[in-house]
Amino acid sequence: MKVLAVARLTLAEAAKRRLLLTGGLVSLAFVGLFLAAFWFIDTRATTPEGVMSALASTFLTIFGLYTIYFLTGVLSVFLAAGAVSGDVDNGILHAILARPLSRAQYLFGRWAGLAALVTGYVAVMGGSLLVAAWLFADYVALDPWATMGLLALQALCLLSLALLGSTLLPTVANGVAVLALFGLAWLGGIIGGVGRSVGNETLATIATVVGVAVPSDALWRAASYFAQSPLLLVAGEIPGIPFASTVPPSAAVVTWGLAYPLVALGFAVLAFSRRDL
Amino acid sequence: MAGMEQAPATEGAPAIAVAGLRKVYRRTTALHDLSLTVGRGEVFGFLGPNGAGKTTAMKILLGLAHPSAGEARIFGHPVQRRAARQEVGYLPEHFRFHDWLTGEALLDLHGRLAGLDADERRARIPEALERVGLTGRGGERLRGYSKGMTQRLGLAQALIGRPRLVLLDEPTSALDPGGRRTVREVIRDLRTQGTTVFLNSHLLSEVEMVCDRVAVVDRGRVVRAGPLDELLAGSPEVRVTLDRVDEAVMAELARFGQVDGVDATTVTVAVDDAGRAPDIAQAIVQAGYRLHALVPVRRSLEDVFVGLVQGGDR
Repeated sequence: MKVLAVARLTLAEAAKRRLLLTGGLVSLAFVGLFLAAFWFIDTRATTPEGVMSALASTFLTIFGLYTIYFLTGVLSVFLAAGAVSGDVDNGILHAILARPLSRAQYLFGRWAGLAALVTGYVAVMGGSLLVAAWLFADYVALDPWATMGLLALQALCLLSLALLGSTLLPTVANGVAVLALFGLAWLGGIIGGVGRSVGNETLATIATVVGVAVPSDALWRAASYFAQSPLLLVAGEIPGIPFASTVPPSAAVVTWGLAYPLVALGFAVLAFSRRDL
Repeated sequence: MAGMEQAPATEGAPAIAVAGLRKVYRRTTALHDLSLTVGRGEVFGFLGPNGAGKTTAMKILLGLAHPSAGEARIFGHPVQRRAARQEVGYLPEHFRFHDWLTGEALLDLHGRLAGLDADERRARIPEALERVGLTGRGGERLRGYSKGMTQRLGLAQALIGRPRLVLLDEPTSALDPGGRRTVREVIRDLRTQGTTVFLNSHLLSEVEMVCDRVAVVDRGRVVRAGPLDELLAGSPEVRVTLDRVDEAVMAELARFGQVDGVDATTVTVAVDDAGRAPDIAQAIVQAGYRLHALVPVRRSLEDVFVGLVQGGDR
């Protein structure tokens, strides 16, 4: 299948450019640091009631996942920023698209290869972290699968946005733009949090609009809810962790998160199909 | 465009049919009103100076660029459709690829994209490498290939899917004489097999050696098209060497055709028919000049080309 051939090429490209090797080593260092933290904070010893233990473990886990969220976001942007523009610039694409392969097939193959990389990264990193928390601190997240799924989904949203940008902008400009949007979504999340805590409707609306345009932060917050300890979520009076959510995500956030990559990919096909190479 | 979607691809459709093709980029018009037909099995030379629109035309044929107006079909299929590229091989002008791939891996990828199954690819890859003189080099990475080897691999890539139409954009410009010979041999092989070849080139001697028919394009228009023989025979010249050249003899010669050049006592005259040479000799002698030589000259493609693209309204 032709889409598969393009996806395979994308994966091979990542391997040959030592992306997998360096990415793997850096990630190993990250997971190692996280393990050390759990090892040295003996969470089981200090807490008679278990709530403090849960708080410490939750803090560690949430911030660990938050780091993964940030890393996967940046990784997605870096991977996809030049996925199309790079191939156009160096002339590789001419021979490929002269084959009986539609531009939609090419884009979908590109997307599938990158999506496999990013999803694999989330699975390995998030998985190691949650397993470590469980082994060292008996920490069990509310729903580890939902956590991982939503983390992967936020990365796929950014990936798709960067791929769309790659059909329109040169690599560096696109990378800068999508990273800025990633930051904007983060800021939007904070504005929304402030808005909710002071009861300001306008701020909450601004946050929603930003979240629709770039849902990475909204999806992270959704993931963070499922990553917390049920103990902590029951003890509602404990102040929530900054950048994390103590309320379950709305169906709209999750639905839009699922639809967003398809919408972005659709626009990418439209934009790229019209382009002269 | 809606009209051409409905017309079915016919069995006997020409390899390439282009009508009224126009391509306007933001500021420049690359193609004005390009029309041409390439029959099946022809080796067709598409000639023109740099910037004449040759590459743009080829990109439109491959669906890489979109025409502003007009239509183009390959084997009857509108070029906007994937089906048009089903049996096409293409060598871009500057063939480049991921330099970490081996030659074989590149051919394998293109074999997949061309729709070959695993068995076909296993059989075709060594064949294609041999065809372009790269036997034994397929396992090396492209990074280590010379410019000429890359171009040869590009040619193998164009041939991998057993195409019925091969589009070659300046295939010999990066090659040494050995490589050029290989390209010529490949083109001749393709002709023997009945494969249509569309060759973009400004290397006229190459075109003269392999093409059946040519079109000369200048500033986005076909200025002359036809069988190569006709194009070359179309306007013969006669070169006359005399004891002296003066205005009287020039006027005499001008009766037979346009005087193309004067070099010392040799005058070149473009005549309608080379059979008029005896008449010219008689006229000169009767006018009291001594005739040292009178040679009918077959014009080279270069002469025809230069006459076409530099004359006229430039």
